Amino acid sequence: MKSRTFLLTLTLFLLFFYSGILLASVVTLKSNLDSSKDRSLREHYFIASSYAKDLNALEKRGESAESGVVSLYRSYFDFYSKQKVILTIAKDGRSIANDFMEESHAFPLSPVISKKAERLVSMEKVENKEYISVAGNLPAPYDMYTLVYYYDVSAIISAWSQMTVTLFGMGMLFSALLAICLMLVLNRVFKPLQQIRTASKNIAQGQYGNRIEVKGHDELAEMAESFNHMAEEIQSQIQQLATAAQQKQQFVDNLAHELRTPLTAIYGYAEYIQKVVRTEEDKLFATNFIMSESRRLQNIAYRLLDMATLRENKLELSSVGMDELLREVEQSLSMKAAEQNISITYEYCFDRLECDADLLHSLLVNLIDNAMKACGQDGVIRVVASLENGYKVISVQDNGRGMGEDHLAHITEAFYRVDASRSRSGGGAGLGLALCQQIAVNHGAQLSFSSEVGRGTTAKLTFTSC
Amino acid sequence: MATIFIVEDEIPIHELIRRNLQAVGHTCLSAFDGKEAIQIQAQKEVDLILLDIMLPELDGFEVFQQLRGTPTIFLTARSSLSDKVKGLTLGADDYLVKPFEMLELLARVDAVLRRTKREGKSFELDALRIDFERRQVFLHECPVECTPKEFDLLEVLVTNRNIALSREKLIELAWDFDYAGDTRTVDVHIQKLRKKLDMENRIKTVYKMGYRLEV
Repeated sequence: MKSRTFLLTLTLFLLFFYSGILLASVVTLKSNLDSSKDRSLREHYFIASSYAKDLNALEKRGESAESGVVSLYRSYFDFYSKQKVILTIAKDGRSIANDFMEESHAFPLSPVISKKAERLVSMEKVENKEYISVAGNLPAPYDMYTLVYYYDVSAIISAWSQMTVTLFGMGMLFSALLAICLMLVLNRVFKPLQQIRTASKNIAQGQYGNRIEVKGHDELAEMAESFNHMAEEIQSQIQQLATAAQQKQQFVDNLAHELRTPLTAIYGYAEYIQKVVRTEEDKLFATNFIMSESRRLQNIAYRLLDMATLRENKLELSSVGMDELLREVEQSLSMKAAEQNISITYEYCFDRLECDADLLHSLLVNLIDNAMKACGQDGVIRVVASLENGYKVISVQDNGRGMGEDHLAHITEAFYRVDASRSRSGGGAGLGLALCQQIAVNHGAQLSFSSEVGRGTTAKLTFTSC
Repeated sequence: MATIFIVEDEIPIHELIRRNLQAVGHTCLSAFDGKEAIQIQAQKEVDLILLDIMLPELDGFEVFQQLRGTPTIFLTARSSLSDKVKGLTLGADDYLVKPFEMLELLARVDAVLRRTKREGKSFELDALRIDFERRQVFLHECPVECTPKEFDLLEVLVTNRNIALSREKLIELAWDFDYAGDTRTVDVHIQKLRKKLDMENRIKTVYKMGYRLEV
């Protein structure tokens, strides 16, 4: 593109430039020659008339016309040859009286001019010199004599050709300068394109951080800006994809681990019963483990299924009374709370909530269950439904062991455990909060957590959509 | 036999390993997290550690580095090559990925113990004494002639005592893997052992399974 633009611009420019030069020089030459012709015609007329007058005067003094013509010619020739003008005279097409002028032999014979007043103007080339020749008869009664006037224009023509050469030489020089300048300008103009090319190549190779430097406010700068914007979008989307892929991988890894441990136990105890067990007591011991581990697998399967259904199905929201909702939650947890001597208080300052009663119930039970695990014996849990900035908010606060910042970001991921050993001493399949998160998303609500190690954790559900 | 230290936080698996090791005659010590493992290790002498990698408090690799010197087998659910390589380059004696079969665990435990235990290995039961170093069997302190295959079979039964072994498993362990013989061969050898060594009550036939040396 660049070289094409360069060649095209240069060619067009040179074409017009040289045509201009050519035209100007031709016009100059033509007007010079025209004016020379006019002058020659005038001079010829003047010479012819004065020649006739002088001839007449000589005849009156008694000299014959023949000798008079010759003697007059001599003086005329001498006089005019100083002015780059050569005269020849002929009688009826025969040259006379020019024997003494050697150079005049070279001149062609003057044409015979039949009509009296007619004069012939032409360009003649004699001995490498250009002449304008004007041939005409002398006025009557001497019209048998033809006077030819040669005006030397080689100076004009050589000056013209010299000027033309100079012009073309200058033209060459300017063309070279122009080519260089054009190249520089084009380089400057095309530089952003070059940058974009490099940047897009780099991006294609996976270096998504590449950006173009934006200068000025022209179209190219705008293009660079939009390119940068595109690169940014691509970068962020690739980032998102990478994160999503990583989370998926994490999920699969965790799932594999979650499945592997109970399977190891189940297989191992079955093998134990088959090969080792000799007493009923041992058999009971082993079957207990097989059952509890199978239950664990079942839990995981059900939770995963729940999440899958939640993702696909649309909710049917209805207006649910808070008193009713919290009463049911309280009922399903009161036994467990009493066992561990945990006190749970419920407060609410709005009456109704648009939600799916069953799902929200299981979400709250899950959150409170987690809170109970975190605080253990004699804990205190507050469930508060309040209004914040016009949004309905339900929060669950506990005074349990809490956790660090780094864990908070991950706790809603499936199978994530705060304890690196992934131990299940607290029980559960590791999918509770992932499920809560899914339910919250389906309600158009935000689930957020804040925590302080040793002080407790607060889970906050903000309904931003209603 | 040997004192084996089990460090594993999953109670069902911990219990399973412990019971199996005890069945074949090992003494077991237990720890459920990294810190506890280090405390117990400092107090007691152990021959082998079975160490889980994902442990509360301190992970298996860290525990291993602090307990340097004791033979160790890593037990883990992590099966990635990099984890295996890390475990083995740290100097572990073996690396076992869950889920594993108990017989495999026992075989590996045995292999490591054979490599690392210094004292000569012998086994006594009733009037029977077996010297594994010299491959000799004594009944009432009188030497009993055994063919090499009979001795191999006896050794397999003793190392996996209290565990029922199928005829196929016995062939795999005592004969070569590619032994193409009939499983009837096993029965014949077992009969001979019972007679020669007076073990009718010790080598039990397990219905539809195989044989078990009960101690």
